[in-house]
Amino acid sequence: MPKMVTITVDGASIRTPEGTSVLLAALEAGICIPNLCYMPDVTPLGACRVCIVEVVQNGRSKMTASCTLEAEEGMVILAHSEAVLRARRNIVELLLAEAPNSRAIQDLAARVGVERVRYPMRNKDCVLCGRCVRACDEVWQSKSLGFVGRGRNRHVALPFNVRPEFCKRCNACIDLCPMTITPCPGPMTEGAVCGLCASQLTMTENAPDTCVWCELGRGFQCARWQLRGVLDPA
Amino acid sequence: MPRAENPKALASLQQQLKEKMQAWPLRVTLSSGTCGQASGSLDVLNALKTHINDAGLRDKVHLRVTGCHGFCQHEPLLILEPLNVLYCRVTPADAGEIVSESLVKRNVIERLLFHDPVSGKTVRQEADLPFFAKQDRDLMGQNRVIDPLDIGEYIASGGYSALAKVLTSMSPDEVLDEITSSRLRGRGGGGYPTGRKWEQCRAAPGTEHYVICNADEGDPGAYMDRGLLEGNPHAVLEGMIIGAYAIGSRQGYVYVRNEYPLAVHHTRRAVEQAKEYGLLGEAILGADFSFDVSVVRGGGAFVCGESTALMASLEGKVGEPRAKDVHTVEKGYLDQPTNLNNVETWANVPKIILNGPSWFAAKGTENSKGTKIFALTGQVKNTGLVEVEMGTTLREIIFDIGGGPRNGNTIKAVQTGGPSGGCLPVSQFDLPVDFDALTEAGSMMGSGGMVVMDESACMVDVAKYFLNFLQDESCGKCVPCRVGINRMLEILTDFTEGRGTTEQLDLLEDLAWTVSVGSLCALGKTAPNPVLSTLRYFRNEYESHINDKRCPAGVCRALVHYTIDTEACTQCGACAEACPHDAISNEDEYVINDELCRKCGICQEACPADAIRKA
Repeated sequence: MPKMVTITVDGASIRTPEGTSVLLAALEAGICIPNLCYMPDVTPLGACRVCIVEVVQNGRSKMTASCTLEAEEGMVILAHSEAVLRARRNIVELLLAEAPNSRAIQDLAARVGVERVRYPMRNKDCVLCGRCVRACDEVWQSKSLGFVGRGRNRHVALPFNVRPEFCKRCNACIDLCPMTITPCPGPMTEGAVCGLCASQLTMTENAPDTCVWCELGRGFQCARWQLRGVLDPA
Repeated sequence: MPRAENPKALASLQQQLKEKMQAWPLRVTLSSGTCGQASGSLDVLNALKTHINDAGLRDKVHLRVTGCHGFCQHEPLLILEPLNVLYCRVTPADAGEIVSESLVKRNVIERLLFHDPVSGKTVRQEADLPFFAKQDRDLMGQNRVIDPLDIGEYIASGGYSALAKVLTSMSPDEVLDEITSSRLRGRGGGGYPTGRKWEQCRAAPGTEHYVICNADEGDPGAYMDRGLLEGNPHAVLEGMIIGAYAIGSRQGYVYVRNEYPLAVHHTRRAVEQAKEYGLLGEAILGADFSFDVSVVRGGGAFVCGESTALMASLEGKVGEPRAKDVHTVEKGYLDQPTNLNNVETWANVPKIILNGPSWFAAKGTENSKGTKIFALTGQVKNTGLVEVEMGTTLREIIFDIGGGPRNGNTIKAVQTGGPSGGCLPVSQFDLPVDFDALTEAGSMMGSGGMVVMDESACMVDVAKYFLNFLQDESCGKCVPCRVGINRMLEILTDFTEGRGTTEQLDLLEDLAWTVSVGSLCALGKTAPNPVLSTLRYFRNEYESHINDKRCPAGVCRALVHYTIDTEACTQCGACAEACPHDAISNEDEYVINDELCRKCGICQEACPADAIRKA
């Protein structure tokens, strides 16, 4: 039996085994922390930084990704402070400017309240969330995919760019990719957010920090939907 | 070679070596670190050897080849004893004269002495150099008396006595207490109290504890660690052995960047020799304590200087940082407790043990103790490695030690702390070098780079340079660092090419904040510092780039225009002939076609009448 600890997220006390990812503990308790690169049961990467939260310790607060943060007794987490919301919005805005045509990213942007994009749009087909790499490595034990290169040259690739024999053709990489979901029919104007799904947010108006099983979350494959076993996008 | 079986044997070995050293009638010291070798010290060495042999002085002269002494501007340096004279910028052609005049006849060659450009005086002795006068060279000073390839010279100069003291008379807890009460703080940039780090590592449970020396120095314009590791590798090793004893470690690593071949070579040799002498390996100095060190070469990534990335690289994985919510002192290399310190931190340890923690704590400011080495570079008269007591002001370092601006220009700013640091303007030059004071001013002590800039530098361009560097060196794992730096650079490029808007300035600040709070590791968290500090102190330069489309320093090419002053022009046509882009034509008078002009400035150099203006 693992040791249980109590952490406080946005004022709510949560009992969870020591060392659990704070993001997972919060999601299981029904607190909404939007996330992108996180997958339950797979090593957290902390790459997208969307699940950023504030940890208050000894009167000082520091921002960190909640997926890689391990629960410790007495930890105080702010998941919806003003600074957190601002940072989260700005980070998703960066993602949206990279891949404006991804349905998942658009849904994520609607969820965290990005209203406009202040950067010139690019049209990338990968945001390096690493879901495919880790699923291939850890879930399917195949290691057919990996990160190659550094900085702006970083990309996901097959070994020597050839599909290896040990690839099991399970298609997990494609299923989990936030870029492969059918694009929504919203307008793709430069600098704008699709916004068609914003109506989903009316559900959250009264309780902005509570998970309401929004369709947006289904769109970006929020870990809470993954926990429910609903991996198929809507 | 004699193996020192116990501390007593070491002491008698030390005595023997010291006497042997003093028995030489003539001693010649040539500095030949990377900076010296770049200035041709190896050729000087060969020439000196030939001439000394020819003069039949082979048995009388002890020719010592050392690492960098710090005065890199005037390398290679040659010190002759007992004549006690310092020669600067020695060339192979001077070797014959040095041997015949100075070694045989004991005359001083005036021509080779240092002529101080500030006071105009000629300096004869090393001790009188104004460059060294204001320094406190606890660490760097030792480089001068040590041949880094010969452990004997280190032992003769008192080396490894701190280790002997620790092993004979101190318990690990006592060592920890000494380091803690000396209040030494990590020299790699973060400034974390070393004693506390050691204690945490020692207390952390694990099957094995590791100690690591971080010598993956990669900041542009910084080379303190190289200077130390090349010039005095044994001091670093001795510090590591003492640290390992205190922490309870059996294995250590020196992670040194492969771009420092001399440092790699010297450290490897030092480890081999220390093993031969029984100072590393099983039962060190006969005590019940074993410790081994391996030298590992870095793979050429700046981010590997970050502790978690370094450990990943050491494990053979891709050098990428991981979240540091669990500290490396608890779970580091191979998930075991690991204590990582910078080269300079390790080198300080033997000194603290020998001289006592109060000696160390007496130096420096309230919260920053001891001395710190800075790599002073850029637009100052004297560049090199400068070691000063903490609390020395930037002004003293730049003007008194560095000798002030070069070429009669005015100094505008100093960049401290490398890409993670910031630019401080002249108005902040009375700041003491102190971890907290510099951080408060928006810069950082960092590992100790100090790049002085004069009025010819455009601060927007400087910020852009550092972002460009970081964009290439970011590992690319997390979004704020990978995309954020790229977007910041995009905005700065807009500024320097005349497309900037005021809204972008606000966006830049918002983005800089996001990158600093959102990034995964310290590289990303501090990446916006060059932008934030220049915005804080040189906002007017940003504004003139945006509003007036003008670069005050004339650096940003897209904003620079060359025109011909028709009154001064003598119609000679030299400019039109010199222009490689055929942008200057003669229509009654000479004019520059702005569309064709590539702003190379060749016409301005070619004009005999000084009629071409840059605006």
